[in-house]
Amino acid sequence: MRKLLRYMDGYRLRAVAAPMFKFFEAVMELLVPLIVASIIDIGIAQGDRGYIVRRVLLMVLFGFAGLAFAVTAQYFSAKVAVAYTGRIRRALFSHLGKLSYTEIDTIGTDTLITRLTGDMNQIQNGVNLTLRLLMRSPFIVIGATVMAFTVDKKAGLIFVGLIPVLAIVIFAIMLVSIPLYKRVQERLDRVVSALRRNLAGVRVLRAFNKEQAERDNFAARTGELEKNQRTVGAISTLLNPLTYCIVNLAILLLVYVGALRVDAGHLKQGEVVALYNYMAQILVELVKLANLIINITRAIACGNRVQSIFEITPSVVSPENAIPVDRRQRNAIDALSVSRSLPGSEDTETVDRGLQITDTSDDSFIPLGASSGSGEFIPLGALPDTENGAFIPLGAPDDSEVPFNRFETDDYQAFLAGDGINPEDGGTERSLPTDSEGPIISYRDVSLRYAGASDNMLEHINLDIYPGEYVGVIGGTGSGKTSLVQLLPRFYDITDGSLMVYGNEVRDYDIDSLREAIRIVPQKAVLFSGTVRSNLLWGKADATDEEIWDALEKACAADFIRALPEGLDAPVSKGGSNFSGGQRQRLTIARAFVSDASVLILDDSGSALDYATEQRLRQALHSAKDKTVLYVSQRAGALTSCDRILVLEDGELVGNGKHEELLETCPVYREIAAASGIAVEGGAR
Amino acid sequence: MKTKSILSHLMRYLRRSLPLLLLALLLAGGSVILQILVPKKVGAAIDTITGPGEVAFGALWGFLRTAGIFILISACCTWFMSILLNRVSFRVVRDIRNDAINHITRLPLSYLDSHANGDIVSRVITDVDQVSDGLLLGFAQFFMGILTILGTLTLMFITNIKIALVVMLLTPLSLFVARFIASRTFTMFRAQSEARSRQTSLIDELVGQQKIVQAYSYEARAAEQFNECDKTLCDCALKATFFSSLTNPCTRFVNATVYAACALVGSFAVIGGGLSVGMLTTMLMYAGQYAKPFNEISGVITELQNALACAARIFELLDEPLPKIQTENDSLPEALKGDIRFDHVAFSYVPERPLINDMNISVNSGMRIAIVGPTGCGKTTLINLLMRFYEIDSGTITFDGLTLSDIPKSFLRRNIGMVLQDTWLSDGTIRENIAMGKPDATDEEIKEAAKAAHAHSFIRRLPEGYDTVLGEHGGGLSAGQRQLLCIARVMLCLPPILILDEATSSIDTRTEWKIQDAFQVMMKGRTSFIVAHRLSTIKNADLILVMKDGNVIEQGTHDTLMARESFYKTLYLAGSREA
Repeated sequence: MRKLLRYMDGYRLRAVAAPMFKFFEAVMELLVPLIVASIIDIGIAQGDRGYIVRRVLLMVLFGFAGLAFAVTAQYFSAKVAVAYTGRIRRALFSHLGKLSYTEIDTIGTDTLITRLTGDMNQIQNGVNLTLRLLMRSPFIVIGATVMAFTVDKKAGLIFVGLIPVLAIVIFAIMLVSIPLYKRVQERLDRVVSALRRNLAGVRVLRAFNKEQAERDNFAARTGELEKNQRTVGAISTLLNPLTYCIVNLAILLLVYVGALRVDAGHLKQGEVVALYNYMAQILVELVKLANLIINITRAIACGNRVQSIFEITPSVVSPENAIPVDRRQRNAIDALSVSRSLPGSEDTETVDRGLQITDTSDDSFIPLGASSGSGEFIPLGALPDTENGAFIPLGAPDDSEVPFNRFETDDYQAFLAGDGINPEDGGTERSLPTDSEGPIISYRDVSLRYAGASDNMLEHINLDIYPGEYVGVIGGTGSGKTSLVQLLPRFYDITDGSLMVYGNEVRDYDIDSLREAIRIVPQKAVLFSGTVRSNLLWGKADATDEEIWDALEKACAADFIRALPEGLDAPVSKGGSNFSGGQRQRLTIARAFVSDASVLILDDSGSALDYATEQRLRQALHSAKDKTVLYVSQRAGALTSCDRILVLEDGELVGNGKHEELLETCPVYREIAAASGIAVEGGAR
Repeated sequence: MKTKSILSHLMRYLRRSLPLLLLALLLAGGSVILQILVPKKVGAAIDTITGPGEVAFGALWGFLRTAGIFILISACCTWFMSILLNRVSFRVVRDIRNDAINHITRLPLSYLDSHANGDIVSRVITDVDQVSDGLLLGFAQFFMGILTILGTLTLMFITNIKIALVVMLLTPLSLFVARFIASRTFTMFRAQSEARSRQTSLIDELVGQQKIVQAYSYEARAAEQFNECDKTLCDCALKATFFSSLTNPCTRFVNATVYAACALVGSFAVIGGGLSVGMLTTMLMYAGQYAKPFNEISGVITELQNALACAARIFELLDEPLPKIQTENDSLPEALKGDIRFDHVAFSYVPERPLINDMNISVNSGMRIAIVGPTGCGKTTLINLLMRFYEIDSGTITFDGLTLSDIPKSFLRRNIGMVLQDTWLSDGTIRENIAMGKPDATDEEIKEAAKAAHAHSFIRRLPEGYDTVLGEHGGGLSAGQRQLLCIARVMLCLPPILILDEATSSIDTRTEWKIQDAFQVMMKGRTSFIVAHRLSTIKNADLILVMKDGNVIEQGTHDTLMARESFYKTLYLAGSREA
């Protein structure tokens, strides 16, 4: 809780002012019994009606002043409570944005939502009550005691003796009953869960004839709850009668002592009345205080929970000297395909994986990194001069100038032919791509273990993926398909090994730019409330309508969006519930297409699509030569046309090759294919 | 639901506790009256303290002693009353909830399917608590409040009519002030709760889908959206909090004014004679206390109205008609064989939208029946009818020649094992879940069933093995693993009839392939209904039911259906092209 106090900065003055004005109000109230005493002892004793009227007017005046003070205090405390909570809430929200998948998995989004909603309301309420009321009660209690002393010291001693007795009684009851209330809550939770299972599992429970057993179980739980409620009830209901008893008996003692003092001439009758009034004020305030403390304890508990979220340090963060994924790096392949249409480059040849490369044998210097719009250059940003070891400082953030460099076409041809240039032989300058321009993605001995898990999810994965490839990923449930692809946008950090993207360790990149370059379409198709356009702009905030329509077209979503009267401005309700599962899935795919990403990952994203649509989607992905595609699927049938298929089993890569090859060499793949009824038709068995 | 009928419902629950309730009211009355009398005695005691050497100690003692006894008795009465009321209210809560579960476990699925679970939970939990808090405790508070007001007024009128009139006429002012503020702040509260719910739904989306937010580096834009929303909420919250917190100071001011007026009139009365200082003190004490029950009562009345609404919701559930309880049929065989006939069966979920018009199916014991058709064709409906989750509108369904209505549901269901697409597991251990159909199964049997379902290997790897406790939603297990447990659950107590509704939909193709063998063994000699997408399963079926729009449009074997231009053929060709 203490750390949350720093959000009070700038409100401290107002936070002090609120209870201060409360104090003034209490003083006004505390003066009233003295006025009554003077009315009795002077006004009535002397029969002075004028005096009485003046005193009564003074009482009204004090009451009004009290009102003014109170309103001021309420304003300050409301202002502080609302503003303070708002600050924490906004800070917490942006903190949540920094948490990585591992933390989100451990805490759970439901908990995070509660922290931002229910807990915040409790904190706001707690702060407000603390500033407004928590101070008032002690002021009145202590104030009344002090006033009693000013009236008569001996009588004041009764107050001094009484307050600790009352405090002990109240706190003892609270101390005993709070843990009991917790038990009641637990019992209630058990009743709720028994009820829920009877609703959620009604078909199974009835199919297994469990109704009577469930009724008995439920009755046992409600009986248990009742028992606990009765126990705590018997104790907590003691509070009112007990405090009433103590204070009133103290009043009797006070009157008796007062009588002695009056008899001895130390005190006047009106003053005894004043003492009586003070005692009555104490009772009311103490009971209020007890209720208040329960509320405030709750708020403190919420505050501690919120603070514990703040204390979580995200495990995946951009490093200090993060490399941004350069636009040119991302568009390296993009540029390659553009080169097909360059003037004077008729002499092109088609290379494997559908890439085309300009034959530049008569001009061995190719300026790199130039924007594709300049036409004359082949902007192969990611390629270094392998001859003299000079690097293109692609990663440097201040790299605004177009760097010129050159490369030997032959080398590039070699890498395109898959003629392994070992990525690890490369330079040690980490911000620079080295000879690793070969694979766009390369896993070296990658293992992954999730937080809290006892076993590795992925084991020693070795894998290269080349620009423009269309790679399928298949494997059983829990075989690690999703884990494999989630490492690329660095949703999780690898536990072991090395994972390079665009020639650099994934860990060295600025996370945002990495995720812009590598787009993933998650399994679950989720849209956000807004419009179709606002959802698609997630991929690229400044995308034009043209780009959006292009993406929709590719994702086979253009037709049904066009059919909507509002088109791109058609409303999307929460979660995208106004679209069907298949439509939602296509929209999430389109969302990923609206971006300059060079790597697209579809994590079982075609599962809700019908056969024809999925095929159209696959064709679209195929023809997007400027993108490297990873297509995760449960269905072998969806992958046969891939350039390459990766087969995972229990976190290990057990197959890596074309469909036909795998049928020959990979038993796991054969089984999967057979189960989907493909192998037979493929004739490989 | 009318208030009268709500109260008569409630009375049913209170009847048993009526003596306790009456005793509680009696105690409440006693406690209130004694509490009112205490200030009077104290006032009288103060009257004996007139001046130095003039104190009448004998009389003083008498007053103080009486007051002391009143205080003690009143405190005891309050405590006993609270205990009794608690006992009654907790018992009523328990009884209503037990009745609710009795009802829920008997209600037809048509009701449960058409009502959100959350809604039913909130009726049985929150609403019932509201009823006990509001109706019983609220009633007690209301009763005591009224008694306090009447008692105080009576005593005041007896003591001094003028002061009593001043207090009686002026005090309602504080009520008006409170009302006035409440009505003014109502719109502010509404604005606040609207802003809050807008924010909550934004949080639900953006935090609930935090992973996607991060995948798209949307954090900054999300925070911007959130901050904007938060600013609105803060504005609304400030207004609502501040203005509503004016109620207390304002009513305190009004009460202070009443107190002052009372002091003025009282003092003049003392000077004029006819009122003693002690009596004035008593009157001032009353004036201060008199306003309190008013504020409480106005709160209680809202609470009572709320409680009545809650009671209506829970009793509405309890009034939902139950299906007739079936009489036991002694002429039942040991077990069903699995000859099943549908004769001119018609069924619809809602009368306005007929679904099944005239369904005729004849299935012999041991047959394997595949049900195929596009989504929404009525496959699940057929299962609902077989399990008798829903009642047919007309026609007959017979099992081994017995009409469905003659077979007790429990007997029918004991004879049917089902694995559904929805992999619901109970919150208990894995062992308990597998043994659901056969609670007395041995560990060996449970393991065998798990092995047959290919669940044993993953269960073994769990830290607690078969004793692993599953959360409310089968927590921790993947959908595929949950489905394997559901299969094991049926494997343990193989009944003569099986229903497999997409039983392997969440299982990966390879495990599914392995599990097929187990299924083959399982289905041998059993009448099995299979909803599946795998062509080989369908191809090997003894009977294929092709469903569309709720009706069986074609039936026959694969070969007979392929022999003609059937809907099945189109489906099959489309499916095999995909493969």
